[in-house]
Amino acid sequence: MFRNIVAMWIVLNAAQTARIHAQDAYELKIPLGLKAMKLPADNPLTAAKISLGKQLYFDKRLSIDNTVSCASCHDPQKGWSNGTPFATGVRNQVGGRSAPSIINAGYQTRATFWDGRAAQTKRRSNNALEAQALGPIQNPIEMDMKLETLIPKLNKIEGYRKQFQAVFGTDATADGVAKAIASFERTVLSGNAPYDRYKAGDKDALSEAAQRGRRVFFNKANCSACHIGGNFTDNGYHNIGIGTDQDKPDPGRVAVSKLEGDTAAFKTPTLREIARSAPYMHDGRFKTLEEVVNFYDKGGIKNPQLDEELYPLKLSDQDKADLVVFLKEGLSSPEYPDTKPPKLPE
Amino acid sequence: MRLLSFPSLAILSLLWISAVRADHHVETVLDGLNNPCGVAIQPETGDVFVADSAAGKVVRVKDGKASDVIVEFPLGSYGKGPKFAIGPLGLLFLDKNTLVVGGGGAADGEELLSVFTIGDAGADAKKADAAEQTFKLEGKDELKGEGNFYALTRTETHVYVTCNGDDTKGWVARAAIKDGNRLENYERYLATKEATEVDAPVGIATSPDDASSKFIVVGQMGEINQEGDSLLTFYSEDKKMLLNLETGLNDITALAYSTKARGSRKQLYALDFSWLDTKQGGIFRLVDDGKGGVQAKKIAGLDKPTAMAFGADGVLYVTVIGTKEEGAEKEAGKLLKIAADSVDGEVAE
Repeated sequence: MFRNIVAMWIVLNAAQTARIHAQDAYELKIPLGLKAMKLPADNPLTAAKISLGKQLYFDKRLSIDNTVSCASCHDPQKGWSNGTPFATGVRNQVGGRSAPSIINAGYQTRATFWDGRAAQTKRRSNNALEAQALGPIQNPIEMDMKLETLIPKLNKIEGYRKQFQAVFGTDATADGVAKAIASFERTVLSGNAPYDRYKAGDKDALSEAAQRGRRVFFNKANCSACHIGGNFTDNGYHNIGIGTDQDKPDPGRVAVSKLEGDTAAFKTPTLREIARSAPYMHDGRFKTLEEVVNFYDKGGIKNPQLDEELYPLKLSDQDKADLVVFLKEGLSSPEYPDTKPPKLPE
Repeated sequence: MRLLSFPSLAILSLLWISAVRADHHVETVLDGLNNPCGVAIQPETGDVFVADSAAGKVVRVKDGKASDVIVEFPLGSYGKGPKFAIGPLGLLFLDKNTLVVGGGGAADGEELLSVFTIGDAGADAKKADAAEQTFKLEGKDELKGEGNFYALTRTETHVYVTCNGDDTKGWVARAAIKDGNRLENYERYLATKEATEVDAPVGIATSPDDASSKFIVVGQMGEINQEGDSLLTFYSEDKKMLLNLETGLNDITALAYSTKARGSRKQLYALDFSWLDTKQGGIFRLVDDGKGGVQAKKIAGLDKPTAMAFGADGVLYVTVIGTKEEGAEKEAGKLLKIAADSVDGEVAE
């Protein structure tokens, strides 16, 4: 009897110790050029939680037929996007928008998705990533996994159940899944690019062409009207005309905001690692950055809600070439987060 | 977010921590205005002048009635849906008879900052092209032309103007005051978007006379389709950013310090237009949150507020665009008045 009690005490104590260890804070290393990240107060980063989130992110068992993971459409090998115009989900279903890169998604604190429909739950809660994380899992075109199916499925995988217990003190829950995946995504960072080092004073960090392109970017080409800040995005929504040339244009942000001016407006994406994340635009219509620059040079596609920042730029061929060099060379980090899939629990 | 220690403490001490509650009292002084976007109080008389923007004129409001002072300003539009017709925007008196008007109806680079000599009440209205002085900020080389001179404020030596031409820079411009009633050297001054990485300076104020240091405070509006991204940014007169604070407000359109001290300090107020959800708009007192940041305390809900000015008696005048009812003939814009003792209150949350 006594030995059983002692054995039980040891087991409980070990579990408690593991849980305490799992709560050890994780210090996010912010690369040069990026600001400190604002984290949700109810989801502090821990190494164990990030590890759990990474496994969930790469695990196809989170989809209904075990064929699609988050990484299928947001692949580290493809700029954390998927290399095709549209994302392909379970049963080879094709979505209507491209898969945005996960790079620096932790800075999307207020809202995520192209139309910003996954928003923080209250002002300054900074939990838009948590609000987003369960969306693709449940989306019938993407992973088609109902939460009431997913959670028992995860809890049958002992490796997951133990980790959820250690990290959250409970078996797997939808809230825990969202928090773990969001925590992992916050570690996918790109900074310390040649542009950042140039800005910090290393005048040799950018080639001469990239330096010229930088000047075009921040002035004549008007790129920084929207692609601003450390993450090269204003996190706003703009109508640049993409999609308005279709028979049934994607409504974009207006579906969420109900403001007429948001018709066919989409979230400004980061330009970090842009050389890796082709094709471009929310409908993936451009294969190259040269095509993108030509599109903006023409002033976008005219429509009633075209953003006032879009107008013919009259860039010279040299301007365009330099701008592309800046985008490719200046914003590609030698510390690209080339994350490999982890071993998944059984 | 930049937090700097020494100036921060001095500035934050101006944001009084208030627990005072009072019933706010908002009174309509004048209705039927068409997108009013500017308001100023005439020195000596206390008359209220309003930029009746979409009507293309500046009016004097006396005893609840408007009379034209300057007319026939050019008109343009702002926004993509909803769209608002706009003409004259910011107003500022240099002295009793000298009014500076920021234009909003012309193309960027052609927009005018105009200095008018105005007559006493009852004088004939002037035309907009009869200004004593006009200034432009034209495009040149890589500089884009400036326009939409939203809000004006002043120190003893300079007039400061928020602009919305070059969306990569977000300029606050300034002009030197010459001989008390003329301007010179109108130039781009502070690149606020470069400094804050957030769009569009709109509201602006300068340090109140009870401040221990001189500064300029800018309300950075943020994206109109994004909530809670308006900033409050303090700069020294030598352009150094002193403090950059998130406010949680959606779209700051105006800032003003009260003319009467409440408690021990003059208070800073902000108007929030709140494009995304205009029901959240209103006037807010910005107070120190005790944690190095700022908290916006709602004084009253207002329907698309655009500009405000305190009278010497502490009364606050606010212009709102309002919402025109279907079939209504009258425009929905109003000049509102909030009594001095009501400005000190706040709405229970």
